[in-house]
Amino acid sequence: MDHERSRRSFLKLFPLGILAGVFASMGGAAFRFLRPKLSAATESWLNVASVSELTGAQPLARKIVAEHIAGWAIATEEHNVFVLPAKNNQVLSAVCPHEGCEVAWDQNTNRFSCPCHESYFAADGARISGPAPRGLDPLPMRVQDGKLQVQYVAKEQATRA
Amino acid sequence: MTLPVEKARAWVETTGGIVGVLLLVQFVTGVLLAFYYVPSVDHAYTTVSYVEKVVSSGAWVRSLHHYGSQWLSFFVFLHVIRLFLSRAYVTNRIQWIVGILLLGFVMAAGGTGYSLPWDARAFFSTRIAEGLMAGLPVAGRMARLWLLGGSDISTITLSRFFALHVLVIPAFVIAVVIWRVFRSNLAENFGPRHAIAGGVVFLLLALWCLKYRAPLGPSVVDVTADYLPRPGAQFLWLYQSLKYLPGGLGSLAGVALPGLVLLVLVLLPWLKKQRLIGRSILGVGLVLVVVMTTASYLSDRRDPQTWKQLSRQAAQEEAWRREQFKPATMTLTASTTTGSVGPPVLYTKFCANCHGPNGEGARQGRLNFPPLLDVSTKPRRTVDDIVGLLKNPPGYGLQPPMRSFSDKLTDEQMKEIGEWIVKLKR
Repeated sequence: MDHERSRRSFLKLFPLGILAGVFASMGGAAFRFLRPKLSAATESWLNVASVSELTGAQPLARKIVAEHIAGWAIATEEHNVFVLPAKNNQVLSAVCPHEGCEVAWDQNTNRFSCPCHESYFAADGARISGPAPRGLDPLPMRVQDGKLQVQYVAKEQATRA
Repeated sequence: MTLPVEKARAWVETTGGIVGVLLLVQFVTGVLLAFYYVPSVDHAYTTVSYVEKVVSSGAWVRSLHHYGSQWLSFFVFLHVIRLFLSRAYVTNRIQWIVGILLLGFVMAAGGTGYSLPWDARAFFSTRIAEGLMAGLPVAGRMARLWLLGGSDISTITLSRFFALHVLVIPAFVIAVVIWRVFRSNLAENFGPRHAIAGGVVFLLLALWCLKYRAPLGPSVVDVTADYLPRPGAQFLWLYQSLKYLPGGLGSLAGVALPGLVLLVLVLLPWLKKQRLIGRSILGVGLVLVVVMTTASYLSDRRDPQTWKQLSRQAAQEEAWRREQFKPATMTLTASTTTGSVGPPVLYTKFCANCHGPNGEGARQGRLNFPPLLDVSTKPRRTVDDIVGLLKNPPGYGLQPPMRSFSDKLTDEQMKEIGEWIVKLKR
């Protein structure tokens, strides 16, 4: 009798086991298939401006166009940066270190302000007030043939660094 | 003691289980492919290539979806024949109707799916669908326009095939499967034998797909005039039949007749002389499919010219697979030049104080300085006009505090500023 009962429960489990096998093999493939592809950091140097034109005490707004490899597409994206002629041409990312909105330079109050959550930064990028955890992130820079060049670093990477 | 005949019959009755497992495979792989696929004529081929070449297990998943659809058509057909032989149209009407409807939906899913990769095969398959629709009597013209979404094959057509393939048809499939599960006790029918049969077929399909990649022809842009498109195995009967039929008759054979046949089969439980009708339809259908499919293989084999071209295409596809994946370029900016696109230094020096560091305009007290964004869309604002305007603002209808910069800027410097300003967009 016991033998008969265990045979029955085996017969019930058996189809479930096979279905589990089908699911498992497809689930494994699904995991590999959907696994996010981390793009290698692009090491290219992007021109910001000629060094000769970077003068004055005010931060200068500039745009850089960086290439991002995202899966099947290479996307060219524009990013705002600020050059600080007063601080040895340091280049700051305009991305607020709080939640990633883009800060703007306000000439009247002489500070950067974030439009989203009211973080404020001094003319050298240092944090003044608001929820931002730190000042504006400086980007890696160099001068080549009289041109100021930077590497673009996304906020996530800047946070980790 | 069960007789060997009865044992064999019990195994024959597992076609439903196989169809269930293959349907599951289609749903899972279809959802996975949708994570990368973009239904647009400029990205469909790129995204499918990306799945084939770059995504882990991508070629296997796509192959499962491609060959799975052919196996599914075969087993649904087998299932219908099995149901007919066991007189399900009398004993289990729901099972019978669901089987027939599934056959229709599976073929429709295959037909719409062929267009999605937007390779040469897809393009020809779409053309043929267009032709079959257009050739229908009375409603042909309208049917064609509705299928294409316009007067020609376009990206809208691809979107339509995509929506039908991934939303409309699967919704109908799910509906009939649910109907089947709830109206007749599936748990009672679905036993170990069904699971074993389904599992074995899945294993065979999985191995098949490890060996054979789903075909992907050249992109529509690269296709040459000598390219020979071939449909999937489940449509070879139609492809071969169309060779023998003159224009209008093709539409009848390819669309109207299959539709009518499916309708009669669905209604079979309520018809008289069921056995005779069913037998003649399924008998003729079976013979037609077998004969035509064989004929299509033979005609490709026997004509040396055709065989040579098909082998060349296969070799080209192999070569393409070895090439590295080429990503598409997407521009998410107004400007496409890499590097600085900031304002000229003299703009910053003389203009930015009033018009903003990037031409966004500003307000100082009661004075409102107009933004320069989109200024090139206004009349008399070309680069030359801006140079003229910088020399003589009143001549361009401007009032103080806009002043002349003749004393500060040379013509060349004004031109540089003007060239930057006309590119400003909101």
